[in-house]
Amino acid sequence: AHHFITATACQEADYGWMIRHYCLKQFQLSMEGIGQRLWCDWDETVGTYGELTNCTALIAERLDCYWPNRLVDEFFVAVHKQYFRNCSLSGRALHDPPNSILCPFILLPILVTLLMTALVVWRSKRSEGIV
Amino acid sequence: MKKTSHSCFLLLIIFLIRMVPSLSSTVNYTDPTLEPVVTENSVIRQKIIDSQFKCYERMNRAPPYKKKGLFCNRTWDGWLCWDDTPAGRITAQNCPDYFPDFDPTERASKYCDETGNWFRHPESNRTWSNYTLCNSFTSEKLKMAFILYYMAIVGHALSITSLLISLAIFFYFKSLSCQRITLHKNLFFSYVLNSMFTIAHLIAVVPNPGLVKRDPVSCKVLQFFHQYMLGCNYFWMLCEGIYLHTLIVVAVFAEEQRLHWYYLLGWGFPLVPASIHAAARARYFNDNCWMSVDTHLLYIVHGPVMAALLVNFFFLLNIVRVLVTKLRDTHRAESNMYMKAVRATLILVPLLGIQFVIIPWRPENRLAGEIYDYIMHILMHYQGLLVATIFCFFNGEVQGALKRQWTQYKTQWGQRRREHCSTRSTSYTATSITEVPVYLYHHDSNNEQLNGRYVEDSELVALKSGETSA
Repeated sequence: AHHFITATACQEADYGWMIRHYCLKQFQLSMEGIGQRLWCDWDETVGTYGELTNCTALIAERLDCYWPNRLVDEFFVAVHKQYFRNCSLSGRALHDPPNSILCPFILLPILVTLLMTALVVWRSKRSEGIV
Repeated sequence: MKKTSHSCFLLLIIFLIRMVPSLSSTVNYTDPTLEPVVTENSVIRQKIIDSQFKCYERMNRAPPYKKKGLFCNRTWDGWLCWDDTPAGRITAQNCPDYFPDFDPTERASKYCDETGNWFRHPESNRTWSNYTLCNSFTSEKLKMAFILYYMAIVGHALSITSLLISLAIFFYFKSLSCQRITLHKNLFFSYVLNSMFTIAHLIAVVPNPGLVKRDPVSCKVLQFFHQYMLGCNYFWMLCEGIYLHTLIVVAVFAEEQRLHWYYLLGWGFPLVPASIHAAARARYFNDNCWMSVDTHLLYIVHGPVMAALLVNFFFLLNIVRVLVTKLRDTHRAESNMYMKAVRATLILVPLLGIQFVIIPWRPENRLAGEIYDYIMHILMHYQGLLVATIFCFFNGEVQGALKRQWTQYKTQWGQRRREHCSTRSTSYTATSITEVPVYLYHHDSNNEQLNGRYVEDSELVALKSGETSA
């Protein structure tokens, strides 16, 4: 059910209503189908999430609103609060380990380098005395 | 550090390779508003949806804005996530890498105006972020990335050639060989191996996104050896410095040192940082082919290298101090000789180290940035050529040996034109005459034979070596 608005301005109230009663309903049905246990599994939910995004974008186009906008932000924040609140932050991007691990990893080779240099200097000095 | 310029270079190469198949972008940037539309390409869409999800997660979990004053609310603009920004400020972040013609090292910006609303583009009256810098210089950057890429390959090829020639010279002229030349040979050999691994990496891995995506173990092994050879290069320079230091400062003009420890430091020790880097990378930052330079784990290898350069530099300064102050009064001739030996190393160490020092300061200006990139690439990729030139081709002993060999060939050729029988005895005497001055020139390891007549012979040697350079 979509209706066309001839006025050029974007009616925010209409847009908000439409995405909640059309897009969100579809999303809810899909997520129920996936099952609450798997809501945090991104591979399972990525398709549904993508469709939700598409839906909001299409309705924005129909209503001559630009996408994304403030309502979309609020809408998605609410969706995340409801469905993805307990998920761990998707740390799929690679990042450095915390400093407490990084610093020893870096400092240790530097210290060993300095020790090794001192050792070589000492040994070559000693070999003079022997030879 | 080294990673910034190296990362720019690598990223440019990677996205230029991606761009070659199709130059058309999915973004219509003749449209001045340059805004996101839902694209057809599914891979790009996946990336964008992924980023969108992460953005809303972040918006959800980040604490609310606490500072006073007006601010613009955090928002997702369709491509990038923007945090709460105080009014009247422009905020910027790196461009996304969704599209082949977007350069992730450029910055995208968004302006929050004084009323606490995000900037709206005047033509369409929609909230607008400035992505124009992301794809505006792409064609010039592509050209420059190609130039730098080929420059790197040519640099390493030239380095390998000149180093192999130098090694051939050192091995052929047995008269040159002494402990210092042995250290030179090892240094050159490590540079040859380093250049070979770098060329293999540049040709096989960098232009091959399919291989990077498959991520076989072999490309990680290649990267491991690459880091190992980098360590070897700098640690052999350190060995040269320690050798000179021991020779001149610690045990002045003494006899031969045992070289086992130098071999251990030069070939064996770099395994330690390379292995620790490999282990840390595999555990904490296991990206494809370990190509990313955006990680601080690279300092596991670069840290010891910089420490080695610094220690080397201080050793050399100490040597110069000793030569200038103490030896000048007592042993002027030797002081001059050793000064020439030290001069080469003293020129090289800062040249090798300067790239680590000036890396963090890439100029913002485009032209200056380009010049900076060229200079850094020359410093990084033509090092082998520089080392071979300074240590071998500009070395007085080597030049002398080459000249003698050349005159020897010339006389032999001249004599061959005359009758065979009469030339034999004269060619023998010619070679024996040329051997004697070599023995005299050769001061590093034959000091024990010269001990008795040390002062006057060293004057002679100093005079002879006066016209040559070290």
